[in-house]
Amino acid sequence: MNIPSYLTKVRDINLTKEDLLLFEEEVKNSYEDSKIVAPVHLSKNNEEQLIEIFQYVHPEDWVFSSWRNHYHALLHGADKNILMKDIVDGRSMSVNFVEPKFYSSSIVGGTIPIALGVANALKIKKSDKRVWCFIGDMTFETGIFYEAYKYKTNFDLPLQFVVEDNNLSTNTPTDETWGGVKRDIPDDVIYYKYERGYPHHGTGSWVLF
Amino acid sequence: MGYKDEIVKSMDWLAAKNDTIFIGQSVSYSGNAIYNTLKSVPENKKIELPVIEELQMGLSTGMALEGYVPITCYPRFDFLILCCNQLVNHLDKIRFMSKGNMNPRVIIRTSIGAKKPLDGGVQHTQDHTEVFKNFMTEIDVVLLNEPEEILPVFKKAYQREDSKSTLIIEWGDYYNEK
Repeated sequence: MNIPSYLTKVRDINLTKEDLLLFEEEVKNSYEDSKIVAPVHLSKNNEEQLIEIFQYVHPEDWVFSSWRNHYHALLHGADKNILMKDIVDGRSMSVNFVEPKFYSSSIVGGTIPIALGVANALKIKKSDKRVWCFIGDMTFETGIFYEAYKYKTNFDLPLQFVVEDNNLSTNTPTDETWGGVKRDIPDDVIYYKYERGYPHHGTGSWVLF
Repeated sequence: MGYKDEIVKSMDWLAAKNDTIFIGQSVSYSGNAIYNTLKSVPENKKIELPVIEELQMGLSTGMALEGYVPITCYPRFDFLILCCNQLVNHLDKIRFMSKGNMNPRVIIRTSIGAKKPLDGGVQHTQDHTEVFKNFMTEIDVVLLNEPEEILPVFKKAYQREDSKSTLIIEWGDYYNEK
């Protein structure tokens, strides 16, 4: 995994891989006990990459994530109990916090333009804070990413993209649908590959609601 | 005062606020009727954008999350359709998604294209007002029919205590007729 040289570590991460795995295990159990009557998108197998990346994310930075957002929220400092309550209340697909600054969306590519706007505002204000936008590999291939990346690059906006490549969108292989070729990875985009540990949504077990 | 003059007065009123910013294509360069209402707005209050309708709406939402009040301009209703993902799935739902903690205030300007003296045709003159009223959960949709309505509508959009966003629709033909 490449970390661009202009980034520096700004905090220690106290959460461990085991903490993250345990959190998702708790969500899994609640879901299978029919306590969560909404889809959940669980993370697994990218704990070490995210713990590394979040050492570069300042606590006052903005973080944008997707429907698979529990790890990002926890690592950015979201209160574990509030997050768990939100998930149990059916908000797993759009976890949002004001402190820490955290926005997630369940629309492919939906966060990218908003992240760009926040970054534009931070630049005008001469803020030293940054916007982090975590996206999947299918989102990375979309036109909205292309537009936003070009704009943020040409106007030097403080927007850092991180691509999390499991080569799946729902259950559709990204590379196959694009004819076997993915786009080139710019040097300033953090990019890592991992194998999805849970299904797209749910836990893989039949749950009777 | 006439229809266009009231819009110009409203833009000048908004431009005097420290937190407003005017965004879109043709806010700084000529090419459509909206440009003619922004000539007296200082250039440092404008961001001229490429043609990126969806990105523009999200960019406006993001700037609003950081405290700005964007006046985001779409020269024709027909073009606004291209930003519907950001408008309907995000700006219109963000308050619910954040349990009321995120309240970006965006003022969206668009226009039903004029048919006189030139008829812009079916892709440049549509009125989707009722569709958008039904389309959205929270965003207020206002059609400007009379000159005297105009300044109060823009003032309310900026000052409203609930911080909701407002889609304000102008009649291109009224720039000359009223």
